[in-house]
Amino acid sequence: MKPVPDPAGSVAVSMEVNGRTVERTVNSRRLLADLLRDELRLTGTHLGCEHGVCGACTVLVDGQPVRSCLMLAVQADGCEVTTVEGITPKDGLSPMQQAFKDHHGLQCGFCTPGFLMTLAGVEPEDHPDEESVRELLAGNLCRCTGYEGIVDAVMAAWDRSR
Amino acid sequence: MTARPTHIGAQVARVEDDRLLSGGARFAADIALPGMVEAAFYRSPLPHARIVGVGAGDALEIPGAFGPFTAGDMTDVSPYPDFDEHARPVGIFPLARERVRYAGAPIAVMVADDRYRAEDACDLLDVDLDPLDPVVTTDAALAPGAPLLYPDWPDNVVIGFPVDNPDANAEFDGRMAVSGRYEVGRHTGVPMETRGVVAEFREGRLTVWSSTQFPHIARTMLSYCLPLDENDIRVIVPDVGGGFGVKAEFYPEEVTIPWLALRLGRPVRWIEDRREHLLATCHARDLVLDLEAAVDEDGRFRAVRGMAVQDLGAAEMYPFGYSPAFTAIGHITGPYRIPHQSVGLLAVATNKTPCGAYRGFGIPEATFAIERLMDKAADRLGIGRNEIRRRNLIGQGDIPYTTSAGAIVDSGSHREAFEETVRVTAERVEHWRAVLGDDPGIRVGSGVVNYIEGVTPTYFMTTGHWTAYDSCSVRVNPDGTAVVSVGVSTSGQGLESMLTTLTAEALGVRRDQVRVVMGDTDRTPYGLGSWGSRSTNVASGALRIASDRLLEKATRIAAHLLEASPEDIEAHDGALSVRGSPGASVTWQQVATAANIRTVDLPEGVEPGLEAAATYEPPGIEHVPDEYGRVNAAATYTNASHAAVVSVDTGTGQVRMLEYIVAHDCGTVINPQIVRGQVVGGVAQGIGGALLEQLHYDEWGNPQSTSFLDYHLPGATEIPTMQVLHFESPAPAMPWGAKGAGEAGIIGPGPAIAAAVEDALSGMGVAEITRTPITAPYVLSLLPTP
Ligand code: FES
Ligand code: FES
Repeated sequence: MKPVPDPAGSVAVSMEVNGRTVERTVNSRRLLADLLRDELRLTGTHLGCEHGVCGACTVLVDGQPVRSCLMLAVQADGCEVTTVEGITPKDGLSPMQQAFKDHHGLQCGFCTPGFLMTLAGVEPEDHPDEESVRELLAGNLCRCTGYEGIVDAVMAAWDRSR
Repeated sequence: MTARPTHIGAQVARVEDDRLLSGGARFAADIALPGMVEAAFYRSPLPHARIVGVGAGDALEIPGAFGPFTAGDMTDVSPYPDFDEHARPVGIFPLARERVRYAGAPIAVMVADDRYRAEDACDLLDVDLDPLDPVVTTDAALAPGAPLLYPDWPDNVVIGFPVDNPDANAEFDGRMAVSGRYEVGRHTGVPMETRGVVAEFREGRLTVWSSTQFPHIARTMLSYCLPLDENDIRVIVPDVGGGFGVKAEFYPEEVTIPWLALRLGRPVRWIEDRREHLLATCHARDLVLDLEAAVDEDGRFRAVRGMAVQDLGAAEMYPFGYSPAFTAIGHITGPYRIPHQSVGLLAVATNKTPCGAYRGFGIPEATFAIERLMDKAADRLGIGRNEIRRRNLIGQGDIPYTTSAGAIVDSGSHREAFEETVRVTAERVEHWRAVLGDDPGIRVGSGVVNYIEGVTPTYFMTTGHWTAYDSCSVRVNPDGTAVVSVGVSTSGQGLESMLTTLTAEALGVRRDQVRVVMGDTDRTPYGLGSWGSRSTNVASGALRIASDRLLEKATRIAAHLLEASPEDIEAHDGALSVRGSPGASVTWQQVATAANIRTVDLPEGVEPGLEAAATYEPPGIEHVPDEYGRVNAAATYTNASHAAVVSVDTGTGQVRMLEYIVAHDCGTVINPQIVRGQVVGGVAQGIGGALLEQLHYDEWGNPQSTSFLDYHLPGATEIPTMQVLHFESPAPAMPWGAKGAGEAGIIGPGPAIAAAVEDALSGMGVAEITRTPITAPYVLSLLPTP
């Protein structure tokens, strides 16, 4: 068996991460998630499955929720990337983060950044009732909460009565 | 006691949340150390094979790769001790020696500068395995002439515990017998965070960061296995993304990664990927209960007898491999007055991933069997399914009640919770029938079940730790802030918040003056960790004793400073005051300053310092079952009644959860929001196990569920709205009366949903539901062919 050549091909990329310009030379196969976590040390983005199912790794790329485990770092070249660190105010919490806290929308908190980023990238008007909120959240897995607190938090943050 | 306002039962924000919400938490995978390398494991692709050889192949062509390291290199490593003299010795070794017994077993490890390269290197290893006949089912494992997993053993039985109780057998004379074979399928905890281990050896000391539920046990095990004393080892638990029991095992990687750090002199990190997790983190359940009941004509159960057979997989899981099966037979009668039982167990080794702990720990299996049997007896006798439970349930007049399994039920609301659940469920069924009534192909049904859960169990003979205690130390700093350190550790349930509240309660300090330290063997007293719904119970017990000791001293100091008598001092709102004269008051800061810095201000005979330590061992726990399996193995017992309301599509067999109702009693509730969260989260996991989750193997023992594409976890649209009704029967012997809520929710959904599906299909001539998961094809198979 011949060794797989180490795909050492590296590419220079430039992107804006949480409002800051980042220039790096990255290995062409490196995942966006790993660039964020290991090189930029933005460890709020979590990896729960690395095959696009759990949603823990969700970040915004040019404002759209994206699974950073399914995207190569080089694909984000020239993009704006936002992580959970980027939506957290300097002091305190955002209204959605506060709603999660008020409604016990997290236990271990491992899935939480992914939920917050999914929510940060959508228009509340597109999800007018509980059923559509649940459908929106169905792409993010949580093993602790049974989703009750998360749904409650979203309904409250978006001013919906249940 | 003073009449000051209490923190107990108040809904307060969790202290953990801010860091978790902002991305500021630190999980194992977030740890990066200077000079760190990353490890990847070569895992057996075969369920059963002899290891002929492991060669580097082309692996070292990968830049920066080291290895492979195998069991043969671990000459300074000792196998895990075999503690239980009743079970066959396994001698677990971190990397496979000579043979592999499940697909996913670690054979070799490679190290490189990052995980990409370490995995590349693993792919290029030259590993020669000689396949052996796989043993895939318990029947095959028990058949005469079956291939042996452990060639030194005479058969594939890890532990057998036959029980033949003549008192139980006598009850069957002349009575109706109802029997069934009930199977809870193989599924497991699947926390969203996989496991992770990071290790560093510096200046003669090993530091290990591990996502474990029991750091002190991990340290003790590490010193058994590695040539290091316990004081050369520090185990730190970072933030943990869910444990659910599967992180309460001591895994091979927890020895291998530290061993590599010693060997290489560099920090080493290993983060499990999801595929590895589904192959190498413990599986659970996979238990068949053959159960027979002797029943009076009026529906009263007189005895149960039978056998629990668990497909344990390879027996390489410490500490909790077969313990859940024992817990199952310890809970087989549930909250029912069934005077006699005779239920044995057999734990059988097969070539699958080893089974171990998962939330519920045998009780879901037991509850599924006894509740299914109740339904069957009711149907047979023409008594309502609720009515038969009413006739068998323990009532207040029976308490304390010793079950035929030896459990001493000290308190509870068994009948009250049940009746309330029945009432609410009837209303909800009516509602849903009205909503869905038009479609003749969609039928609505419900089922109500009951259970008790032994909490704070003994750490049991299987582990070598004959105990159930835990520990706490409390210290007040000169500025009046308190530091509480405990032997339990959290995996995301909110223990930090719980202990903050209880410390504020016990010392009369404010919550924001309390700092909780846990999950660090250098900074906390020895303890057994967090599992078995024990942490609230034992940590609060130890905290109560330690803080009473500290408060007594603080009171003497305050009395001296205020020139009052110690009996008149009370502590609240961060101060110690003379009862009845609000002006006469000193702050904790003044007291702690006297104790720590200005000892000239101390009364005569009072030593410097303001610190107290205590342990708490719950009373009344027994550690070893008698010959009939009877043992009071837990500190106290929670109870609950669950009801599922479902709809079933008779065309597709699809079961939809409409609503779930829980009446839950875990004694004193410290934080209602956290308790509700535990219950709801547990029910959600239970629904997953009841309807969706299954770890499949093919007929040759090859695992088929190795990603989230083929192991389906419930999402937000599959979990229904829940009603949680709280009952509070404090545990009489426990400080604060709190019992523990971690596991309870998961126990009820299997039998409740099975009963609801049968109810929905009643009149259609369906066969009995005898196993989980209740998938659509399974439901269809129960319907008579048209
Ligand atoms: S880690 Fe990206 S979806 Fe799970
Ligand atoms: S809070 Fe633990 S996985 Fe969602």
